[in-house]
Amino acid sequence: MVEAMICTPDFQAFFDATILPLVAAASVVTGFLIAFSYMLGNLLNNPKLTVWAKTEVLQVFISVASVFFIFIAINTFCAINMGEVASFFTGVETQHDLNVYDAAGEYLAESALYSHNALTVIRYHLQAYTIYAYLNAFLCDFEFLGIGLGCWYGYSGKYEQPLGGYGAINAALNMVFNSTLIAHFSALNFLFILLFVYKGFVFIFLPMGVFLRSMPYMRSFGSLLIAVALSFLIVYPLMLSIYYLMGDVLVDRPDSPHCLSCSDPCPHCYTPSTALSDKFLHCQGESCEKVFDDWASAGIIQSIGTMLVQSFTFGQVTTEDTMDSMYFPDGEHPKDAITFGAYAFIAAVFMPTAALLATIASVSYIARLYGEEINLSRITQLV
Amino acid sequence: MKKLLLFLLLIPLAFAASWHELAALAVMVSAALLGVVYMIGFGFGINELQMMAREEFFQLIVLAVLVAVLTGSDSILNSISTLEPLKPGAADMQDATLDILQENREQVEGLLDDIASYDKQVSKQASKSSQCNLMSMGYSVSGCGGFSILAPPLSMAGGITAFALAELSAMERLVELASSYALALLLPIGILLRTFKITRGGGGFLIALGISLHLMLPIGIIFNEMLAETFQDSSEDHIDEYPPDGVSADIPECNPGDTKAPHLAVEIVTLGLGSLTDLGDSNEDQATSAYLNLRRSIRSHLFTILIKATLGPIIALLMMTSSIRALTHLAGAEVDVSAISRFI
Repeated sequence: MVEAMICTPDFQAFFDATILPLVAAASVVTGFLIAFSYMLGNLLNNPKLTVWAKTEVLQVFISVASVFFIFIAINTFCAINMGEVASFFTGVETQHDLNVYDAAGEYLAESALYSHNALTVIRYHLQAYTIYAYLNAFLCDFEFLGIGLGCWYGYSGKYEQPLGGYGAINAALNMVFNSTLIAHFSALNFLFILLFVYKGFVFIFLPMGVFLRSMPYMRSFGSLLIAVALSFLIVYPLMLSIYYLMGDVLVDRPDSPHCLSCSDPCPHCYTPSTALSDKFLHCQGESCEKVFDDWASAGIIQSIGTMLVQSFTFGQVTTEDTMDSMYFPDGEHPKDAITFGAYAFIAAVFMPTAALLATIASVSYIARLYGEEINLSRITQLV
Repeated sequence: MKKLLLFLLLIPLAFAASWHELAALAVMVSAALLGVVYMIGFGFGINELQMMAREEFFQLIVLAVLVAVLTGSDSILNSISTLEPLKPGAADMQDATLDILQENREQVEGLLDDIASYDKQVSKQASKSSQCNLMSMGYSVSGCGGFSILAPPLSMAGGITAFALAELSAMERLVELASSYALALLLPIGILLRTFKITRGGGGFLIALGISLHLMLPIGIIFNEMLAETFQDSSEDHIDEYPPDGVSADIPECNPGDTKAPHLAVEIVTLGLGSLTDLGDSNEDQATSAYLNLRRSIRSHLFTILIKATLGPIIALLMMTSSIRALTHLAGAEVDVSAISRFI
């Protein structure tokens, strides 16, 4: 629809140049139809038509007033500074000056990043444990000075997977990984819904709503369109912007008092750009996505070399400590990873879903204000 | 101008110290806004505006009564939940809840550690095989195959335990949210938003969310803990060793070249959880012994996993979602939160 986001001058230009003329045109066309019906009613001496026309004049006025209200609400939301609102209620100053719409988008972006961080941490553990579990060892019989004499002239010994026992912890992490993946996709989904609103698509509902509300048999549909526009432009961003004020706890902002008081290790307070890469994932460069690639290209040779050296030097295959020194030099944190996944679920699924449900409920409520009963329970089931 | 108006409206809230004051000031700000609407209606002779202001004022009175009830309920529940049988040292209901969750969480984490440790030992034994090969002739024996049957149940136990741990962690996060924001942020903003017809649904939802997070979620967890404690106390007199004390399972070393036949199967079937000494020393007997040990060890944690860590959060969440639905209905715009209940 438009490249510009809501609250920007370009968006204002789009609203003034496209939406308002469309609303005006819809109102004028509807007015003409009503006037024509009124005249026809008088010509045919049909009171039904004249009464209908009189009723619809009021409805057109209500529709146009709704659009005007939306316009005022958007401007107000663009002017409100959520940092100041936060300081009023919680007494804590926030670093960013964001309006309601930006704060809503920021919360969803943060929750998407948070769930992505959780995915990264869980995946790293899964990756490490899977590699642990698939290591094989052949222990030659008749060990002498660290070398199995059983293999000098033949092949006598035992096969085993010394670190094969990660099935339980992998099952645990897999379960949380799946739920965190859903959390990440949900956060992105909610973000796209918000962008759909911010980019102006929902404004097209307004002229359609103004026109359709006054057409015979289309009152419910027209009311629904205006109610959707009102709810998704006011209630949905407002809910999410309030969640933004709760971000210190909800998404563990690293500079929040909540995270600063968290004892180390505290993986859910890490961010990919700073602590996460330094303390936990040992990834280089800009993105932690390179972790596996780095290991696969250079680390694998190094690790095999380490294992061989250990094997010949100490007369044993690689131990869990050896592997841990490569993967988890600061210690492994599978339980923290599970906790991280649970937190991500609350931030990216539970709370935004509640906001969406409230918005859908608000659609029904606003439609009722227009005098129409709309049953959206089926839609609610889809959420 | 709009920012100035908002500033003027919200400035009393900046001086509020507790949630009670915040809520009272939010009600007063809402009343002031309705007064302005009524005056505009009166000044311009718009009856609809006056009627709307009157109706909303009535809603505000109902809300003020609701806040008063909340204050009373909060005090009573705080007193009950910090009494001697539960958490005498806790400052309030939320603190008591966090203590309960923390204790349960430590137990679940302990079990997850145990399961991971057993899994490592069992899988190592199960993976063993012996081979002897000279000049391309020889044999290979997998004498420890009996241990491999222990890995799938351990994996399942790991998954269930992780689910319980995730549930407890999620509950902790919700209670933390309740402590920090439920009444300090959600309730006053909800009261303000509920003043306007368009945002009544959202405002009512925020009020319901704040009250439910603050009251119903901790009550659900404390209620379940009380039930569990009572059950445990009463079961000690009637059921021997239930829940049994935690025991650590011993996973014996397996010799992959040993192909001795297992001891009589009849004896294994008739074995209870008592004596395990009737088993022989073959690999299969060792695996059976390990299985019985594990069964006994993991069973000792079932009560925590199933009742405290799984059922407890489910009850608490159901109470919270039911409360949200009832309160939003009371607030004039019912929000169907059954979708959230499906997460459970």
